[in-house]
Amino acid sequence: MAQDEAPRDVQRSVDNHAPQARDVSSPAEPTQEQTLRRRKAFGSMLLPFAALLSGCTTQKTQNAMARLKKLEFDDEPGATHMEPDGTRTFRNHELVDQDGNVVRFNDDLIRGKVFAATFMYVQCKGICLDMTTHMAGAYDLLKPVMDNPVQFYSFSLAEDSPEDLKQYMIDHGIYGRPGWRYFSGPKSAIKDIRWAFGFFERDEELDGNLNGHTGMARFGNHRIDKWSSCPALGNPLLTARSMLAVIPPDRRPRVPGVEREPDATSRKIPNYQPRKPLGGEPL
Amino acid sequence: MSRSLNPLDTKVSRRQFAQGTALATGAFFINTKFSRSMLAENPTSPFTTPWMQPLAFAPWKIPIPFGQQYVTGEPIDEARHQRYDEFRPVKFYEMQACEQLCRPHPQLGFSALFTYDGCVPGPTFMMRYGEPTHCRISNCLPAAPVGFGNCDVTTHVHNGHHAPESDGGPWNIYSPGHYHDHHWPNIYATDITTGQPDKLEAKGTLWYHDHCLDFTSQNVYRGLTGFWLLHDDLDSGNENDPNPDAFRLPSGVPDGKRVKNRYDIPLVFTDRNFDANGILTMDLMNMDGILGDKFLVNGRVQPYFEVERRKYRFRLLDGGISRAYDFWLSNGMTFQYLANDGNMLPVPMERQNVKLHVAERADIVIDFSRLPASTTTLYLVNRAEQTNGRAPTGNTLPMNQSPQLLKFIIRPETGVPDNSRVPTFLRAQPEMNVPVVGERTFALTRGNGMWQVNGQIFDQTRCDAAVKINTAEIWNFSTAGGWSHPLHNHCEEPRYLSINGVPVAGTTLQGRKDVHPLYPGDQIQVYIKFRDWLGKYPMHCHNLIHEDHAMMVRWDITP
Repeated sequence: MAQDEAPRDVQRSVDNHAPQARDVSSPAEPTQEQTLRRRKAFGSMLLPFAALLSGCTTQKTQNAMARLKKLEFDDEPGATHMEPDGTRTFRNHELVDQDGNVVRFNDDLIRGKVFAATFMYVQCKGICLDMTTHMAGAYDLLKPVMDNPVQFYSFSLAEDSPEDLKQYMIDHGIYGRPGWRYFSGPKSAIKDIRWAFGFFERDEELDGNLNGHTGMARFGNHRIDKWSSCPALGNPLLTARSMLAVIPPDRRPRVPGVEREPDATSRKIPNYQPRKPLGGEPL
Repeated sequence: MSRSLNPLDTKVSRRQFAQGTALATGAFFINTKFSRSMLAENPTSPFTTPWMQPLAFAPWKIPIPFGQQYVTGEPIDEARHQRYDEFRPVKFYEMQACEQLCRPHPQLGFSALFTYDGCVPGPTFMMRYGEPTHCRISNCLPAAPVGFGNCDVTTHVHNGHHAPESDGGPWNIYSPGHYHDHHWPNIYATDITTGQPDKLEAKGTLWYHDHCLDFTSQNVYRGLTGFWLLHDDLDSGNENDPNPDAFRLPSGVPDGKRVKNRYDIPLVFTDRNFDANGILTMDLMNMDGILGDKFLVNGRVQPYFEVERRKYRFRLLDGGISRAYDFWLSNGMTFQYLANDGNMLPVPMERQNVKLHVAERADIVIDFSRLPASTTTLYLVNRAEQTNGRAPTGNTLPMNQSPQLLKFIIRPETGVPDNSRVPTFLRAQPEMNVPVVGERTFALTRGNGMWQVNGQIFDQTRCDAAVKINTAEIWNFSTAGGWSHPLHNHCEEPRYLSINGVPVAGTTLQGRKDVHPLYPGDQIQVYIKFRDWLGKYPMHCHNLIHEDHAMMVRWDITP
């Protein structure tokens, strides 16, 4: 499986920094040291060009490079970075879905998306089965908006293979449902994603204990940096409502059966003129 | 030095507005990196010089003139309220939740806060028993605010003995462009044995805040809080009251900039984080609890307060997200402890410190005339050590290492007599005279990173405890693990029977309480009555991060 790395253009210009250690490597692939050595050599060859190029790149590109560099090589798992437009960037891990498609975590799963994320693994004898049933219930309620705009992501905590994930989905009757995908990746990448979503324990042993893994779902709307979380167990209706709550009310799709019951004592303000928001036009 | 903008001022000069808008649009969240350990343990906010600005106060909320319509125009739908005809409002208020640029310190930037009526904290409601009121709260927040905070709101009067439709519970959410009507009858809870109002049930210091499901912490962090004070014939808010029974405590709640001769001082303590540009920032992925590294009092970072050499009443409120406080005066002097959670104790207690968990209140009287003439400054400090949002460590910090929250500047003697007093007897506690019809246990636990109460996950469509009106029960609260949970139940105030098996008589917890501070391993047993209103109420952890992650139960009062 490919290791997580910064986009290639950035990688070239920041090659004097060591990339993160890979967790999953196949014998056919070069070792980490070899990759490092190669990259350093390649990087040093490119340095003069990089210097030349740096004069030509815009300030914006340079800022983006610096930011990704900082994010990519931060030691601590779970770091995210805020952008000037108020959105946040996660590390751009390379993951693979149940059909073997390779995706980038930040670029493909986060940027511009509205989603619910949960964590699981195929062999789980604990809460995973209940969670899957629960999320399937929420999916059924949200069917009219699934895939557009709502996405469900489930991340494997145990480096399950795409085939195993696909079989798991088939077994639970959720394979082929639009807008619900399962992802696997190196443990370090999934840990980073899990930490970035806030699902971690301060005790290292507890944090690594698969049996006690999180049953929370993370809801996100990247474009307005709206985040919330609730258990992915219990009543699927509430999970469906929490999912829609990250979408602003004026954009929120009306999903019959999921909408909150009308509040007994609130009413529309006649001729209401919204105040112009201080943060510019609404997204 | 740049000019300070009073966070309570709604007027902003054009230039300041342009600056603020630029920050709000371009730099609201710029260059902030969130790492997992960053916000809880390590200070990251820019340096601010303490004691640069005076303590600020919210203006009083003024009722709309008698006979005048609500601006929103719609008539009140009386049928939607319980016992509306019985307690017909005599005062009408109209308030709006809106966005406002505020700067909590001159060295910080302008942040686009969520406010009630444009100020943080929101306007102070001055309520009185026997005067039913009606309040219409409009949601005028931006439809899609970027970053933390949600534009759907619901306003809860914390510890109000109100019907569920006016309680502002997490299921009464409404979106921008809508309003919600609250009927606040301001009645004493009924004595079940006589059917008459029980004056011993009087409350004093309440507050209101947003209660949006899943987003309470974000909305409160962004500013939606305010004081809601109740007076009656005894706690009359007049230190010159001719009524011989009146307490005549130091009186006069400041009204905005009108602070002269005001000696009844509400203080809301919050802790916040700011980014490199001094803009308010929040770790939205934090599941444990959030600690800020800047201490704010009434919306300002480390302000000063000029006091006369006389008695002052302070109403302390922990309005934070997850932080517990242990308030001390820097010289270790004692003060009179009058009320816990806004409820007067039978007798004032002389204390050196006050411990408050989130949402708890304490009314104290500090007598500055006891200070020697040479003392001109005094600090209010927080000696509770807390390193993460889970729980305070239990250690008491040395005085010289404790964060100073508020500086008192003591003015020279003026010679003006101080007519206020601290009576030797305050208010007896309501009797536990209703037979107990049942006992319930609420065990707060955590499993697979999820909060559970009695092993169940919160479901607002499920009633976890159906109680019968005009009865009483015994409830047991317990917590496990290294977590503290300031548990809060709406509508009713229980009395404590014991904490960890030890009776509470003689302690500051002997009064009625609406926030039950469960520290790791604690068990609290309470006696609770159910009166006056029918419907569903929540009970939840007031560590707002825990609340937002479904540490809640629903309990219903049934006929």
